[in-house]
Amino acid sequence: MATIAPSLTAVSDRRGNRPDPILISMVLMLSGFGLLMIYSATRFGLERAEQIPTGTMERQMIFVTAGLIAIGVFSFIDYREYRNFLPIIYGVIVLLLVAVFLFPEVNGARRWIPIPLFNLQPAEFTKPVAIITMAYVLSQGNDPDRVKWRQIFQVLFLAGIPAALILLEPDLGTTLTIPFVMLVMLFAAGANWKQMTTLIGSGVIAIAAAFHFDLLKDHQERRIRVFLDPSLDPQGMGFQLRQSKLAIGSGQLTGKGLFEGTQTNLAYVPEAETDFIFTAVGEQLGFVGGVLLVAGFLILIWRLLVIAAQARDRFGSLIAVGIAGMLAFHVFVNIGMTVGIAPVTGLPLPFLSLGGSFYLAMAISIGIANSIWLKRSPVPDH
Amino acid sequence: MRFSLRLTVLFGLFLSLFAILSMRLWFVQIAEGAAAVEATDNQSWVTVDTPAPRGDIRDRNGLVLATSRFVPAVVVDRHLVNKEDKDVLIQRLSALLAIPADDIAAMYEAAGVNGTFTVAIVDTVEAYQINEKLSLFPGVRIEKVPERVYISGTSMAHVIGQLGLPTADDIEQRSELNPSVRIGKSGVEARYDEWLQGDSGEVSYQVRLGDVISQRPEVPATPGNTVILTLDSELQAVVENALVEGIQLSNEWKDGQRAAGNSSAAKNETVRGAAVVLDVKTGEVVSMASYPTYDPSLFVGGLDVDTYSLLADGQAFLNLAVSGQYPPASTFKAVTYLTFLEENVPLPDDVEGIDPASKVVHCDGQLELSRLNDGSAQIFRDWYTGDKGWLDVSASLQQSCNIFFYSVALGIHDAWDGTPKETVLQEMARGLGYGAPTGIDLTSDPAGVIPDRELFLAWQEAQMDDPEEAPRLLDESRLDGRDPWFGGDLMNAAIGQGTVSATPLQVALSYAAMANGGKVWQPYVVREIRDPKGNLIELNTPTLKNEVDLDPANVQRLLTDLNRVVTQGTAASAFRGFGDSLFDVGGKTGTGQSIAAKDNHAWFAGIAPISDPRYAVVVLIDEGGSGGAVAAPVARQIMQYLMGEELDPIVAGESAQ
Repeated sequence: MATIAPSLTAVSDRRGNRPDPILISMVLMLSGFGLLMIYSATRFGLERAEQIPTGTMERQMIFVTAGLIAIGVFSFIDYREYRNFLPIIYGVIVLLLVAVFLFPEVNGARRWIPIPLFNLQPAEFTKPVAIITMAYVLSQGNDPDRVKWRQIFQVLFLAGIPAALILLEPDLGTTLTIPFVMLVMLFAAGANWKQMTTLIGSGVIAIAAAFHFDLLKDHQERRIRVFLDPSLDPQGMGFQLRQSKLAIGSGQLTGKGLFEGTQTNLAYVPEAETDFIFTAVGEQLGFVGGVLLVAGFLILIWRLLVIAAQARDRFGSLIAVGIAGMLAFHVFVNIGMTVGIAPVTGLPLPFLSLGGSFYLAMAISIGIANSIWLKRSPVPDH
Repeated sequence: MRFSLRLTVLFGLFLSLFAILSMRLWFVQIAEGAAAVEATDNQSWVTVDTPAPRGDIRDRNGLVLATSRFVPAVVVDRHLVNKEDKDVLIQRLSALLAIPADDIAAMYEAAGVNGTFTVAIVDTVEAYQINEKLSLFPGVRIEKVPERVYISGTSMAHVIGQLGLPTADDIEQRSELNPSVRIGKSGVEARYDEWLQGDSGEVSYQVRLGDVISQRPEVPATPGNTVILTLDSELQAVVENALVEGIQLSNEWKDGQRAAGNSSAAKNETVRGAAVVLDVKTGEVVSMASYPTYDPSLFVGGLDVDTYSLLADGQAFLNLAVSGQYPPASTFKAVTYLTFLEENVPLPDDVEGIDPASKVVHCDGQLELSRLNDGSAQIFRDWYTGDKGWLDVSASLQQSCNIFFYSVALGIHDAWDGTPKETVLQEMARGLGYGAPTGIDLTSDPAGVIPDRELFLAWQEAQMDDPEEAPRLLDESRLDGRDPWFGGDLMNAAIGQGTVSATPLQVALSYAAMANGGKVWQPYVVREIRDPKGNLIELNTPTLKNEVDLDPANVQRLLTDLNRVVTQGTAASAFRGFGDSLFDVGGKTGTGQSIAAKDNHAWFAGIAPISDPRYAVVVLIDEGGSGGAVAAPVARQIMQYLMGEELDPIVAGESAQ
């Protein structure tokens, strides 16, 4: 930590408005790597079905392209403008979250709004919106190292509405992202230990109550039970978990080699191109590949914290911290799920998993972070 | 805390989360990696069971009755089906095979992840059609699978039995069963299933990226063993034909009764019957038929509900010869006859029409018994009208005079009621195989009923304890706590009526035992089992169940009297024109009344030849009307065949019990 602290505080070197090269290149590398993994996991199945083997990857390439444009666009929108439009942004996202209930159920959930080209998943875009909202609330006030209880309640209220709507869809993984990011942001904003422990304590009680009063959907409770004991469901979820662990384990130290995966390619591991994309990494590239990927995410998160440290204002700092927390949570829960240390909650892996809304939401978040970086000091002629 | 420090703490938190991930990856990939490689390697091996052809069933002369042939089947291997293709595949198979898509989808799910299942047996043309466009059917292949073939058709169906998919219970009891391979459900197919099944083989191949990359040597299936029956196909054809004609004859006889104004004897149409031929010296079942019958082939591919219900409602699946329980009626008089002689039963000396000194009774149509005041009937009527004169036990058997056998029962009651000897008749019956399962190697082998005081007391207790639940075996008058066993009950038992019940097989078994001097053999339908190469691996030898000590003189007298039944007694008209060997056959007619049936059951139980008893023949026509008129002619034709006589057409005999 001692080696990181100086770099976080090195605010003297302010050359101005160039994009953060490490941030952008990490995103490009992760996205390119994701495309390769999607191709390796889907190529064979598509060939067998006499379809174009690159089909699924090409679909994701469209999302990646759109995402890169989004990074560019959001990089050059001054993040401070969001403060002025926040009620509108927040209102639109809540409306979209309500709108999903107007559309038919898919696989037991209502998460999608069908629009041309892809299905819009408002819950994904809720993540950056919630972060901006919470950052706005927490950046109010005079003391930069203190959070008032009033602010905490505002944050709970404003983040709670979309979280509750997402829970109703239901989408447990995304719902859980919001309180995690909230805690990270509150801590960064200077909440004291009393405030933190009160919040975490009441969260634990709330979860216990949810179990006790059966508030969780059956499939959510079952997923958690199966996570704790996979033998409860050897054919379905248990099968998926077991196969996922076997696939990753069989990669051993250096993996079977690119395109040499037998498990992820053979429908042993269901959803190997979406939520379980890490199985393709673990099987083909082994422990070395897996740890390098985790390290890549760590670099990304480190850069976001550096941006937070160098932001020109508290609003920007807190947004960057929130994005870092969001990424960290996704990476941990997603990879943890594939190796059996986190429940199967359906959280995808940022920049790697196949999925349009998710990729765009992540890209927008990176764009916003880059904007914070670009605006970290007054532009010379401002 | 300053902001930068808080960020450092957060970074530390994220770093430790990722460190946990990395440690977990190390555990999964390095510590347990080798085990995972082995598990995935094993997983890539697909092992498919190849079902064994069921063993043959042959008759005693080696004639094939049931065998197996290989037919093309459409098999789906889920290893090779991508989940995206599943729905299309099911739709295409459904269209091609005309099987509802939902049914195929259900089989698909039932096979489990990476399972294999047979969709349908197809004909050769369909098999070629599918083979030519296998690319449209990912994961589908055409395999040769064994299928049961019943060459014998409906003949011997009840002995051979039928197949069906194993139930959950079956699989629980026999874990080696493959849920998609049919097993025997009745008859020899069921009792000898473990011999007939054979051992399934195995094909293992390793799949990588959807291609078969290596294959282990195939373990071929071992066909099931051949089961050789004791039944003789040629005799069986005669018996089955005679039985069907006997049922026709019964209906013609009933038409005659109706025409003569005696419609009370012909309330129902006759539809059922059974016949058994036993080897008196071994207990081998040489022939066994039950009508109505069915074709076991119907069950090979599964039977639709409508056809099944139609056949089941007509009791086509019931083997009446083994499972049908009827009052044995006058055929049972042979048992009373032997009891009378063996036990020297004293006839009553205080009843008009009974002469105990000369051991004769006056067969004048009815017996009045004002002195039996235990609840018994006061007048016992005989089946004939008129006066047959004073008859001894031999003449009474020949003429089927009820009064004589009532008198024997009355004599037992008078002399021994309340003493251990009160059950001499029942003990003789039980000794000869009544009242207990025969132990035949087929399914559903009921005990039948031989009533006595003990049984009636047990029934009384059960009925009084739980009037709602217990079967109503005794009428209300016997539920007042008094002794429910009346002297009249033994009198009814003596003529095989009342609560006495027996299966055609039990009657045949008892006649075999009476004819061979008292040996009760355990009847059996399977003579031996041979492996597919023809080597003998199991031989069923005769099993003596019981031996009754009978005076050979009494046995000889019975055989002589049974012969007189067919020469001058109740079956004389049915046996007219039998042939030169008429002197060497014998039997007893029977006409049973039961509350459950509207018309009387027609029986004939016979022995051929008398000089050296070899076969016991029993014919039962369910509600056939009259033993002498209907059952005796059927038995006569079967015995003509057994004695090498020319077969005469089946025409009605005398309407006698």
